[in-house]
Amino acid sequence: MTKLSTLAEAVASISDGAHVALSGFAITRCTMAFAAEVIRQGIKGLTVSQCVGAMDADLLAGGGAVERIIYGGGSLDRFGRLNCVNRGIEGRTLIAEEYSSLSMAFRYMAGALGLPFIPIRSLRGSDILKRLQEIAPSEIAYVDDPFTGDDWLVLKPLVPDVAVVQVQAADEEGNAWILGPRWDNEEQVKASSQAIVITERLVSVETIRREPERTTIPGFRVSHVVHLPFAAHPTSVYQAYDYDADHIRRYVAASKTPEGFQEYLDKYVYGVQDHWAYLDLVGGTKYLTGLAADPVLGY
Amino acid sequence: MTADLEYTPFELMAVAGARELKDGEVVAVGLGLPVVASFLAKCTHAPNITIMFELGVVDPEPIHQGVGLADPRVWYRAKILSSFVDMLGTVLHRGRVDVGFLGGLETDAYGNLNTTLIGDPKGKFRHFVGSGGANDIASCAQRTIIIIRHEARKLNEAVSFVTSPGYLRGGSEREAAGLRGGPSRVITDKAILGFDPENKRMRLISIHPGTTLEDVLANLSFQPIVPDDLPTTEPPTAEQVRLIRHEIDPEGMYAG
Repeated sequence: MTKLSTLAEAVASISDGAHVALSGFAITRCTMAFAAEVIRQGIKGLTVSQCVGAMDADLLAGGGAVERIIYGGGSLDRFGRLNCVNRGIEGRTLIAEEYSSLSMAFRYMAGALGLPFIPIRSLRGSDILKRLQEIAPSEIAYVDDPFTGDDWLVLKPLVPDVAVVQVQAADEEGNAWILGPRWDNEEQVKASSQAIVITERLVSVETIRREPERTTIPGFRVSHVVHLPFAAHPTSVYQAYDYDADHIRRYVAASKTPEGFQEYLDKYVYGVQDHWAYLDLVGGTKYLTGLAADPVLGY
Repeated sequence: MTADLEYTPFELMAVAGARELKDGEVVAVGLGLPVVASFLAKCTHAPNITIMFELGVVDPEPIHQGVGLADPRVWYRAKILSSFVDMLGTVLHRGRVDVGFLGGLETDAYGNLNTTLIGDPKGKFRHFVGSGGANDIASCAQRTIIIIRHEARKLNEAVSFVTSPGYLRGGSEREAAGLRGGPSRVITDKAILGFDPENKRMRLISIHPGTTLEDVLANLSFQPIVPDDLPTTEPPTAEQVRLIRHEIDPEGMYAG
């Protein structure tokens, strides 16, 4: 069954207040076009989750779409901090449940496996745990190991309403390949009730059938497939295109103040009708072709 | 004539880090100095070291400078590209990471690390990166090595937020919290420190050539244990400096 959708259709399936898991990691495979469309459609009150905070979550937070972020900390690597997320945390306008990378991955995995909870060795003794016990006491508990009697910290599974994942290739059913490290994306998709796949390349079902070992996102778990080139711009997609360092620097500079970020939104989000207009605005075909990845290097 | 050998503080720290690694160990690293230390160990005394990045990257051989772990430049020529559950789960959580390298905004007398915030968590504060995989490595690795600049504002009696636990407030507090391992060494640009086996307070092990004890203590905001016999840190050899400059980091992409 084809699940091909426009970005606008896929985004319209998301309700105000939904829990959305995002596939970005710092400056790579971020769901940027998706985030911009969410802001344009005026969707509000989202809970956003990901293992490591990334540029997609930061754009959504800066665009006023996010009420709560559940994540393992994050940055834009050496480009800078997640200015919008951090401003929200510092000003207490954004609820932040901060974990570690593995505790987030384990929570998604427990969700994906349908487990009631998952024990973990991390977080103990830390102020991360103390803070979570204050602001999210329903997510954390202790149990005795029934076999050894040992005391274990356990975490509640994460079951997002929607996972949104940027991939390199997918067919119209949503069977998808993630090239390079997958970080938490496979567990995110499998934990979620619904999944939106945004793909750089649309391939035939026959292509998928010829190399099924590469399929990490199962089509039968996917609700929408959006074929949209450069949908992660300005972040990178391994084996497709490099990050746009100049644009990321522009974003970081703009996001240092609410006024600067409003100007950024007015120009690059509200100022364009859709992703195609955005691509023209940030440089057009000639410029974007310059970001294409070398097949040996992958960037 | 090694007595005349010139080297940078970065090179000395990388050599000190490499010296801590044993052949066959699995090492969890972030970018920068830990990568140089691990590669140096690999091309000298520890050829069978395995290097892993938390997001799912094993034994890469980058040829271009990356901006962070999410940069595909850093994954080049890796033997494995997988996931958090694979790296931090089946390797780290399983207990198979021997050494983790950690850094941060500040550390304290018991090796607790803060990468989350500066200021008052209940009042006005500035929020930074948070944990990423740092808390997981601090909690689950067999031992950790802290790399940090030797400045009074980064070496405090207590950190303002424990992102990654060291020995908490010392003694048996770490074990009581249900944690294994713990920091074994702290490598700064002025000294190498360890931890007292009983009370777990930071203890000077050696001070770097050209540095005085007064200088080391003046740039610490707590009093470490100072042993009566305090040797000078062994300087890098000419071969180690050559390897760093010509084989491992010819572009200076880690040293920057």
